[in-house]
Amino acid sequence: MFNSNQRTLLLKREAKYLNTQYKKGVLELCVLSMLYQRDCYGYDVSEYIAKRIDISDGTVYPILRKLKSDGLVTTYLSEESGGPPRKYYRITELGKSQYLSEKSEWLGFIKTVEELLEGDK
Amino acid sequence: MKKADFFRVLEKTLRDNHVNDIEDILSEYEDHFRFKLADGYSEEEIAAKLGDPKTLAKQFDSLIPVTEKSKSNKVIIGVGFVFADIFMAMLFILLYSWVLILAALALSSASIGICFISNINIYNLIPVMPYGCALIFSIFMLSLAVLSAVGTIYCLLYVNQLLRAYLRFHKNVFAATSGKPVYPSLAKYPQLNNKNRRRLRSVALISLTFFALSFIVGYIVCALSAGAIEFWHIWNWFI
Repeated sequence: MFNSNQRTLLLKREAKYLNTQYKKGVLELCVLSMLYQRDCYGYDVSEYIAKRIDISDGTVYPILRKLKSDGLVTTYLSEESGGPPRKYYRITELGKSQYLSEKSEWLGFIKTVEELLEGDK
Repeated sequence: MKKADFFRVLEKTLRDNHVNDIEDILSEYEDHFRFKLADGYSEEEIAAKLGDPKTLAKQFDSLIPVTEKSKSNKVIIGVGFVFADIFMAMLFILLYSWVLILAALALSSASIGICFISNINIYNLIPVMPYGCALIFSIFMLSLAVLSAVGTIYCLLYVNQLLRAYLRFHKNVFAATSGKPVYPSLAKYPQLNNKNRRRLRSVALISLTFFALSFIVGYIVCALSAGAIEFWHIWNWFI
């Protein structure tokens, strides 16, 4: 059906897709963890994440929006003296419970992966 | 890529993908540019670090249809607010006229006080009395003027704050129904800083003291100089 070239291309694309999806999930978890600690505005989150993880600065905003439409975070405006109001993100109760369960899931997962990887010795 | 190019591509792709609340998304990136520019980055650097606008735009989920429910909610809230606004408008007219009345009281008592001091008696409106008594009563009227001026200021601040809080509430309710971010609600009483609050309070207390003292002293002095408790009969005030 496919020649080998096409197949590798498809596989590569698949891998890339999985990779971005995977990254997205992890990023969501990171954003939630940040918002779990304190309310932030979008730029805050973008700076915090982009400094630690190799992604482009703009990627955080779609994630924030998705979290908002899923009801995990809400936004509110805060008046700053001098300058336009800033939009802050706050984690909701639903977001908190989802974050905590996803966090323990993730920690369990990486522990398993670690054990698996250490099996090659 | 310049900022304008970045936004052009971003906005176009968002529109092509039928994403809603595009302004909201754009303002988020506007903020990003603003912060980064303030940190001294060039537009090209910022755009490069943000990533390809087309790819970014594709990461936003497409149109989430506005449900019929939220539309009808909006209508109900709108109709409710029409009635609420009529009542609130009347209330605020009442409150502002109260402020006006207080201001008029302050002005008129000040002018009576000045008439007392300068011994001007327009159309014989001020009852006859010895000049000494008139001086004491001028203090009485002037302290009343100061007292009511303080009252006017405070009431004005109070009503203004109340109006602001109501308008904020109004705005927030509509923002909340369409899922937009809301502002924190405002306090319902005036937010004076401590210095001004202390100042207003001490002015009010001092003028109140003068008001009470000059009334008592004025009465005693009048009674003594007329030689009667009901001195107004001796001076034929009410004929």
